[in-house]
Amino acid sequence: MGKLSPRSFLKTLFGAPNAIAAVSGPAEAPAIEGSSRRMFLEGTAGAVTGAAVILATPKVASMLDAASQGSPSSEPKGVVTQPSGPAAREPVTAYVRNVERNEVTVMSGTREVTYRDPVLVKRLLDAAH
Amino acid sequence: MSSHREAPEISKDPVADNTDVYAFVSPDKPDTVTIITNYLPAEGPAGGPNFYEFGNDVLYSIYIDNDGDGLPEITYEFRFETKIANPNTFLYNTGPITGLGDPHWNKRQVFSVSRVDGGDGVEAQTSARHGHKRDHKQGRGRDKHKHGHGHGHGKKAKLLGSGLACPPCNIGPRSTPNYSTLAGAAVHSLPTGETVFAGQRNDPFFVDLGSIFDLADLRPFQNLHLIPTAAAPGVDTLETLNVHAIAIQIPISRLTADGSVPKNVTSAKAVLGIWGAASRRKVRITDAANDGHSEAGPWVQVSRLGNPLFNEVIVPLGLKDKWNARQPVHDKDFLANVQHPELAKLLPALYPKVFPNLEALKAPREDLVAIFLTGLPTGVVPGFQNNTGKVLADMLRLNVAIPPASSPNVLGVVGGDLAGYPNGRRVADDVTTIAIRAVAGITYPLVNKGFKPDAAASAVTQGITPGANRTQATFPYVATPHGGFDAPSATM
Repeated sequence: MGKLSPRSFLKTLFGAPNAIAAVSGPAEAPAIEGSSRRMFLEGTAGAVTGAAVILATPKVASMLDAASQGSPSSEPKGVVTQPSGPAAREPVTAYVRNVERNEVTVMSGTREVTYRDPVLVKRLLDAAH
Repeated sequence: MSSHREAPEISKDPVADNTDVYAFVSPDKPDTVTIITNYLPAEGPAGGPNFYEFGNDVLYSIYIDNDGDGLPEITYEFRFETKIANPNTFLYNTGPITGLGDPHWNKRQVFSVSRVDGGDGVEAQTSARHGHKRDHKQGRGRDKHKHGHGHGHGKKAKLLGSGLACPPCNIGPRSTPNYSTLAGAAVHSLPTGETVFAGQRNDPFFVDLGSIFDLADLRPFQNLHLIPTAAAPGVDTLETLNVHAIAIQIPISRLTADGSVPKNVTSAKAVLGIWGAASRRKVRITDAANDGHSEAGPWVQVSRLGNPLFNEVIVPLGLKDKWNARQPVHDKDFLANVQHPELAKLLPALYPKVFPNLEALKAPREDLVAIFLTGLPTGVVPGFQNNTGKVLADMLRLNVAIPPASSPNVLGVVGGDLAGYPNGRRVADDVTTIAIRAVAGITYPLVNKGFKPDAAASAVTQGITPGANRTQATFPYVATPHGGFDAPSATM
């Protein structure tokens, strides 16, 4: 090791560094109104993994019970599963903003839209139960 | 530093950054163990107007493993809440704070303490209070968790105390006169036998950061470095800085597996594995509409600490965040980093001809594996063991049958004091010097008596002698914090 110069010892010990992946940062998220949820999601660049977040008031427990009793039998129910891997870098995220008003906020990339969508809210509440 | 800002992610989240963990048989109450976990690294004492406080959105945990499986049988959980009396002033206090109930104290914190007792079962991750309930079994041998993410798993948590006052930060003689008395009132005795304190203290950890992270500039070999400099005394970088400490003193009988107070040093029941951790909720939604933020999801561990310097020095940069998120039971994944530590390769490179025997040592460092991951078995150091079995897990390992030392040696076991690090860790132990000397080879003869450590291995030192104000003789043992008015002084 005595032959190493001050500038070479790290390179000798560890070799050349690996490439460093770029990381994207957050940006402003304007509210968008008047578009459908399908349009909103279709407008998102690239394929991303969806993730749902339930964020509700303490009333949620009773709402959950009420929601589960009225669940339509025609739609397939979600199946509990183990995550298949890490979350996407920017997962599409939905959370119930206001249970009483059937408001759900969906975020994709830097965009955020709040819908009044009883069906989606109900499905999320079902999944949360 | 021990674990101050030691990993990329947690370095940006100081309120959740566990800087040090201490665990020792209380010198003035030897039937108890004191555990201290410090957060908020490098607090400037004059950090107003929003003086430092714990995170209200952070779950602080202290874990105890009393059967050697690298999983917690006992967890103490701490949650904090900030209360603002008058939101219409910018002042932290509107006059001198002379007591914990003083109306002049405008922004204060209280905390709760819970205890979770769990057996050797699979993790039952039930968070019904968050609208989320599921049984999550990961029954793959050692991968199973018991209650690793703590709070919110509900059924077994017992609230020991709530609304417990933290002291204010030490602001200065006008705002916090008689600070020691004020902080002393924030030591709380719980009905179940524990004593707790949470608040600002003088950071007892001492290290020459500027020197160590300038390519491992070590004393007394500065002139022998590959990039030599003149000899210079050590600089105690943290000398005038504070931290926030969570301290708990627990009867030993509340920690051992069978409720005993072991007296036999060789008994496996006498050894406790101890570490600290901080967790955040999985999702945080910042929303101007609700004037703050909302949170959802299970607790996710973002910081942990057992042995000082493990994540800091042993774990490579690309794995540090991952290490922080895991439980000790998974630390077998870092075995190679312990067996072949980077620092042991750096020392001979940075100090040519100073560590020739270390340079020639290519065998796995089983001495370091014992110190960090399993504990030392009986027969290695006369009169001592802190072995927890075969599970590789980074924890402080405290043999509670070893009484406190009457004349402590800051070098702990390597200095002949069996009550010091790596038998747990006392507040004044010089763990940096101990760790550097161990990595440099002085402990390798414990597993290979034919190895002769380099003379430099036992000579290396930080060159720092911390002031007596860094510790105190009684609980919480971490001393009165530096006041904002006085520190740093104009002469520093």
